[in-house]
Amino acid sequence: MELLSFALYFLCAVLLVLSRIGHSTLTDARDEIVDLSAPFLELASVPAVEARRFVDRVRLNVRVHRNAVDEIDRLTKENEELKQWQWRTQLLERKVAHLRKLLHAAEEPALVYASGRVIADARGPFVRSALVNLGRNDGVRIGYAVINGDGLVGRTVEAGDSVARVLLLNDLNSRIPVLVGPNGARAMALGDNSAELQLDFVEDGATIYAGDEVYTSGSDGVLPRGLRIGAVTGEPGTYKVRPFAELNSLDSVSVLFFDAPAITQTDPDAVADRGGALSALPQREPREDRTASGTSLPLPPVAAMSSPVAGQAQAER
Amino acid sequence: MTALLPAFSVLIAVIATAVPWGLPADATFILPLLVVMMVFCWRAIPGTELHPAAAAALGLLADLLSGGPLGFWALMCLIAATVGAKPGSFRERRDLWIQWPIWTALVSVLGLFGWFLASLYYLRWIDWWPIVFGVVTAILLFPVVLYGLLWVRSGQIGHSRRTIFRSAS
Repeated sequence: MELLSFALYFLCAVLLVLSRIGHSTLTDARDEIVDLSAPFLELASVPAVEARRFVDRVRLNVRVHRNAVDEIDRLTKENEELKQWQWRTQLLERKVAHLRKLLHAAEEPALVYASGRVIADARGPFVRSALVNLGRNDGVRIGYAVINGDGLVGRTVEAGDSVARVLLLNDLNSRIPVLVGPNGARAMALGDNSAELQLDFVEDGATIYAGDEVYTSGSDGVLPRGLRIGAVTGEPGTYKVRPFAELNSLDSVSVLFFDAPAITQTDPDAVADRGGALSALPQREPREDRTASGTSLPLPPVAAMSSPVAGQAQAER
Repeated sequence: MTALLPAFSVLIAVIATAVPWGLPADATFILPLLVVMMVFCWRAIPGTELHPAAAAALGLLADLLSGGPLGFWALMCLIAATVGAKPGSFRERRDLWIQWPIWTALVSVLGLFGWFLASLYYLRWIDWWPIVFGVVTAILLFPVVLYGLLWVRSGQIGHSRRTIFRSAS
């Protein structure tokens, strides 16, 4: 018995070391097992997701019952603002199209995406990641950006046939080159396993204010430019980024099929499978109602259309 | 009670650990520690069988689902299984008031060890607050989990203390 225990301790130590060096056999085996467990996880996640939605509904009901009139006023105001945004967006889209025509700019390829659900949530001292029920069969590759309605959530780091692992923004290994504020100051958003990201490597002479919006710069060659990440918080010198997306309670997410030259480094299979890193479309038609084509890349935030936090930064300026 | 009940209940807990509950960032360490606590409790309750290899395998499954380094939770479960089954290592009558301090000491060491191992793994000091929060919660939840498992095992909690815990005689 003692010999068996010793063997098990030794095996654990060996596995830890192999994990640290990223042994490919171990990674492949892990992908296979996670793929196999996906249907069970999907089934097991249903009660948890329903329970979470129930709690959210109860919270909403309590809030509405407490202050129904104020809630209606707030929603009416929000609706009015959204209508204004819609109008201004249409106006800007027309302007951009006109200017592109004048400049004879090359047409940007339409961005394809697939939407799925978070089926497992993996958080601990080592990782902040999530499993989504989209895999290579749906066209997902390693290195793709993952977003939800609020903004960037993370990027795919493992892709099995039917599931993919998403490294969340706040994971210790997450490093994202970003642009900050309306002037587009270059910086790096670093995850540290906490709720907020560190803002580091800010370019010299950049003026940053709390409330400035932070979005991807695309200079890493992996993520597309202009994906909203969050807003700047904190004091000068110790600026942080509070993500727009609620990373603790992710539900539905979308994977953007944005292939860049760097994808050959993050996922060599993408090249082997499809004969080129820049072939953005998945090989096979993704499952029903998961893909919508023709959506354009979210543009960098326009200063005039400021959110409340951005308004605060504007006021400070 | 079947012989597979301990392993099966821990398996359910491992799957529950991976499910997206939407817990706050500070509470991320609690669910995996519940798995470790269940391993400890099943090993401490006499008349139940949870082999150390099964405990390590379940920990390994937790590693696989979590996306973290393989072997970390397997090691934690293995340590808990070893300490939980030590008969009479502290005192002969191992009722709740004895088990609880043992668990408190064990989980504190595991928390410290986990923090150190994670820091070593990334070659930087990682945030200690979620681990401390998880450890304190795991200590407070120990009686609930222990008596919950006793209830699962026998359908009732009101056994005499002599028959409940290993090495009670």
